[in-house]
Amino acid sequence: MSVPPGYGLRPLVPELILLAAAVAALFVHLFARTRGRRAAGHIALAGIGAAGAALVLTPTSAEALFGGHFVADPFAVYFKAAVLLAGALALVLAFRFFDVEGSEPGETYPLMLLAMVGMMAAASAADVVTTYVAFELFAIPSYVLAGIFKKEIRSAEAGIKYFFLGTLSSAIMLLGLALVFGLTGSTAYAEAGPALAGAGGKAGVVAMGLVFAGLFFKAAFVPFHMWAPDVYEGAPTPLAVFLSTAPKAAVVAVLVRAMTSLFGAQVAEWRLVLQAVAIATMFWGNLAALAQKSLKRMLGYSAIAQAGYLAIGLAAWGDTGRMAVLFYTIVYVVMNAAAFGLILLVDRGRRFDETVDGLRGLVRRAPLASAATLVVLLSLTGIPPTAGFMGKYFLFSAAVEKGMVALAAAGALNSVISLFYYFRVGKAMFLEEAADGVASGSGPRPSGSISRLVTVFLAACAVALLLIGLLPGLLTSLAIPAVLAP
Amino acid sequence: MNVPGLPILTFVTFLPVAGMIVLLALPGSRTKAIKIAANVLTGLEFAATLLILTRFDASAGEMQLVERLPWIKAVGAQYLLGVDGISLLLVLLTSLLTFVATLSSWGAVKGRVKEFYVFLLLLETGMIGVFLALDLLLFYVFWEVVLVPMYFLIGIWGGERRLYAAIKFFLYTLLGSVAMLVGILVLRAAHQTFDWMAMIAAGPVISPALQGWIFLAFFLGFAIKVPMVPFHTWLPDAHVEAPTAASVLLAGVLLKMGAYGFLRFSLPLLPDAARRYAPAMAVLALVAIIYGALVSLMQKDMKRLIAYSSVSHMGFVMLGLFALTPMAAKGAVLQMINHGLSTGALFLIVGIVYERRHTRLIAEFGGLSSRMPVYAAVFLVMTMSSIGLPGLNGFIGEFMILMGTFPVSWLWTAVAATGIVLGAAYMLWLYQRVMFGKIVQPANESLRDLTVREFATFLPLIVLVFWIGIFPKPFLDILDKPVERIVRIVNPAPFEAPR
Repeated sequence: MSVPPGYGLRPLVPELILLAAAVAALFVHLFARTRGRRAAGHIALAGIGAAGAALVLTPTSAEALFGGHFVADPFAVYFKAAVLLAGALALVLAFRFFDVEGSEPGETYPLMLLAMVGMMAAASAADVVTTYVAFELFAIPSYVLAGIFKKEIRSAEAGIKYFFLGTLSSAIMLLGLALVFGLTGSTAYAEAGPALAGAGGKAGVVAMGLVFAGLFFKAAFVPFHMWAPDVYEGAPTPLAVFLSTAPKAAVVAVLVRAMTSLFGAQVAEWRLVLQAVAIATMFWGNLAALAQKSLKRMLGYSAIAQAGYLAIGLAAWGDTGRMAVLFYTIVYVVMNAAAFGLILLVDRGRRFDETVDGLRGLVRRAPLASAATLVVLLSLTGIPPTAGFMGKYFLFSAAVEKGMVALAAAGALNSVISLFYYFRVGKAMFLEEAADGVASGSGPRPSGSISRLVTVFLAACAVALLLIGLLPGLLTSLAIPAVLAP
Repeated sequence: MNVPGLPILTFVTFLPVAGMIVLLALPGSRTKAIKIAANVLTGLEFAATLLILTRFDASAGEMQLVERLPWIKAVGAQYLLGVDGISLLLVLLTSLLTFVATLSSWGAVKGRVKEFYVFLLLLETGMIGVFLALDLLLFYVFWEVVLVPMYFLIGIWGGERRLYAAIKFFLYTLLGSVAMLVGILVLRAAHQTFDWMAMIAAGPVISPALQGWIFLAFFLGFAIKVPMVPFHTWLPDAHVEAPTAASVLLAGVLLKMGAYGFLRFSLPLLPDAARRYAPAMAVLALVAIIYGALVSLMQKDMKRLIAYSSVSHMGFVMLGLFALTPMAAKGAVLQMINHGLSTGALFLIVGIVYERRHTRLIAEFGGLSSRMPVYAAVFLVMTMSSIGLPGLNGFIGEFMILMGTFPVSWLWTAVAATGIVLGAAYMLWLYQRVMFGKIVQPANESLRDLTVREFATFLPLIVLVFWIGIFPKPFLDILDKPVERIVRIVNPAPFEAPR
């Protein structure tokens, strides 16, 4: 298939802008002195903004371009927007983080942008080769990002762990993709999909299983989640935000597209597995989070559990299920970024307190940020009137429509479990008194200073979550046209 | 229905939220201004709910003053409010008790005054929304909105074990809520709408088996809220730890939300299941009546005693609802109002001595009537109201429930009547131990009687206690048609049989 006349490279413009910004940020970082590195960050943020604008302006088409490798349909655009949103939120938090941390590894910015280019390409990939290349393009910078503070043991460990397990999962996925090519003689979804439906048989089901295993790994679905808590906890907080949101959006995009156009005939075989994955992921994430003392690690498990809710939509499938997945992806990005952002709210000297106890009595000193956090917590738990509730409502409702009442009930039960640990945070902030001087053996602690940037960040996320919760039409009007028809 | 001018139901639902924003704008240090503003706001809100009466047709059984706007087009959820006699009485009760609770908090709330009233107003919007929402998703949203402020009211301004009580309350009720949510989803899948009126109009389209499942899901949500035995264990903790204002609203309104849920949704939308489970529900209600009363007898803490008495009284309400006769159901709704008035007042009464003595142990008191005569009189009226003395409101409600239950089962009636006797026992014994006898504790010698403000909090409650007791007709007239309409769907028999 050739590019339609007059179309040219236009569908690629957002990615190209991001790529250009990455290169620019890289050079600025190379030649800037330590203090000038922030400029690279500003270039990156501007690049994301420009790419977002380009995304809105670029015409969409359901047609596969560039020889069937690339689709710029509304579905892809929706997920690209999710990736850009996640990147932008993480970047803002990175500014705060590096300000306090003192050192600023400037290569963070270009690496993030490069990873985002990969994720955006993955959302558009309509060919097994493109899919794989896009995946590696976002995976390799991700490994580096997780270990960006190479002298800090936890960060280095996170990077190494992510790298080893990540390459393994990539290899498994590659095997599945190779199987698709072997079975059908084609790499394009549009041709391989129907061929698999005709001649796939058991091998087609196996191929889908292998590809899923790779994707589930990247999305941290149980039982492929082992890396996630360590990486989210070990990585610097803004990069934990990035790694727990943006890749998931990209993976979900690939999953949905693959389930629609490549493995359309095999999906039914995997329905049960998806349900099991959803249930296992929710329970594992939530129950493990219950036991955590570190706020950051707790949020790491919470991020796993939240992905489990998404899997409900995948298992339910159907138009409503897919819409729910789209809706919840964006909501998840905002909620998760805000939750991790909370860690960066108060700095104590040159570091951040990553325990729940560190938040005690915060409402006295930071009422606005505390109120915003409350909204975020309610949203994460799934209590109205927040976006998190609406998202869960759509997911559960899709499951019930398909007769999967037990799945919806499991999801609902998990909301109750999650309340327990999310409200440990709420309890510490609102109900407990600050424990300065009494805490954790470190002697009297400075009460720390409250970041105005993070306060605004939290407030903005909270307002967005409330608005979408009260008027979900704001987001469904974007998500419904983007639902991919099989 | 076309509503000219002000959309009154939206107005009364969101006026407290508007007030909340006003309070937020005030600086937290100006506590007096905040207190005045909060009292004025809840007073205005009560007046606004009275305004509904001017547009309300008491002789109609249908939903009135309906306001309908599209809300979530993707799933067909609407912003749909409406009021009938049942809702109206509960809304009036809510706004009155919130006003009373606000007034009672003037001196009681010491720290974080602004937050306290902010949460109180948010709570009011949630409660009123629950009683007015006719779209099931909207109903669920309001239902959940109630949880959060109550969690904070207990958790911040509560007693010693407030953290435990607050999270227990939250977890318990959320568990019930999400079960209800699943039930709502299944109901919506069957009806393809969230619109209560449309569901009623569609009639019985759901198979009895499926109705049973939905009924169970709703049961979990509503029974925890009521609370029915064996789901009542959150209640004593929440009540004992909660500050007085929160206790008043918890007992006065939040428990009613559960009973209202049964009446508004479980009965008319799942009639086959409701008929099938009615005997089981009635038995659970009887267990609650007797168990609640017996446990009340043993309590050493006044507040805990009143809390358990709520379990018993709400058992009466549930028995009235599931006797499935119009008389009993009407009595049940009236008893919801009565319990809100008398138990709300009793919590205030306990709160007043607690403020003065910082203890609620019955053994710490005795002989108070000689020092606090006005207080003694108010306490007596509310005790009698709670017992069901003829001439006061409790009698009418309980009598109607018993009378309506009798044709269904004389045994149930007999057991419930035993509950009344036990109720008289624990209340009178409480009164005797606290008010009569000699003053043993020196600290009780100098107790101050009710102040004018405190008496003013009780005044509307006392007036209503006598009004409903002596001339209940206006209240029953309002309830007549809407209650009959619901009971007729579940149990058409009493309407067909000749008298």
